[in-house]
Amino acid sequence: MHVLGGEEMEIIEKRQDDISIFKLNGRLDSNTSPRFEEKILEAIKNGSNKMIIDFEALDYVSSAGLRVINKTTKQLKHIEGMLILCSMQDYIKEVFTIAGFDSFLPIVSTCDEALMKF
Amino acid sequence: MNEGKISFEFRSNLSELDKLHRNLEELRKSLGMSKKAIFQINLAIEEVLSNIILYGYTDKAEHLIKITIWDQNRTLNIRIEDDGIPFNPVEAKVPDLECSLEERQIGGLGCHIMRSLMDDIVYKRRGNKNVLTMKKTIEDT
Repeated sequence: MHVLGGEEMEIIEKRQDDISIFKLNGRLDSNTSPRFEEKILEAIKNGSNKMIIDFEALDYVSSAGLRVINKTTKQLKHIEGMLILCSMQDYIKEVFTIAGFDSFLPIVSTCDEALMKF
Repeated sequence: MNEGKISFEFRSNLSELDKLHRNLEELRKSLGMSKKAIFQINLAIEEVLSNIILYGYTDKAEHLIKITIWDQNRTLNIRIEDDGIPFNPVEAKVPDLECSLEERQIGGLGCHIMRSLMDDIVYKRRGNKNVLTMKKTIEDT
């Protein structure tokens, strides 16, 4: 388990079997998204292609965050993997719906549900 | 805050977004707004601000962006003024949500999110400034 600290966002990474679970605490915005993108890239380099992003402790997301998530979805699809998002607060989920992400990305209520989808 | 206006000035640097977030948290407390309402306002402003900072200028100089906020009977008015190139986020192309994001117009997704979250948006070009005014009704918590 790694904890990546930072001012506005903390990323906690766990592995369950061959699934990487990223729990984000804080804000995923223009300032914090690049670091999250690096973390994902690192996980892919280390052989991970199944990922869950847990939004339970995330209280802010902007289009910068959405772009990283979209990019990750494509990268994982390319290596026959999958990304699932879970545990969003309703106003966070609303942004993903506005952006049309719910049409190509599974968004579920709990991490357990996400794990069962793999 | 009754018709009283508060103004902030931001430098044209993405690091200023942290300051925006802190300023709005103060506003949330003074107006008794819900977490959801301040989130939506923060997001709409951030999307506009990011577009200005990333795409609004043709020089490397530091520019100032002014944001003024005032409450009119539980409708929050937010005015954003910048001296960047003319850009009207009201008419920016709606992104094709079916196609890949890379094909979308730069900044398009942010504008789309802002337009979806705000109740009213008016753009004016005044001299060398873009003036965008957004309105959002604050429901009681």
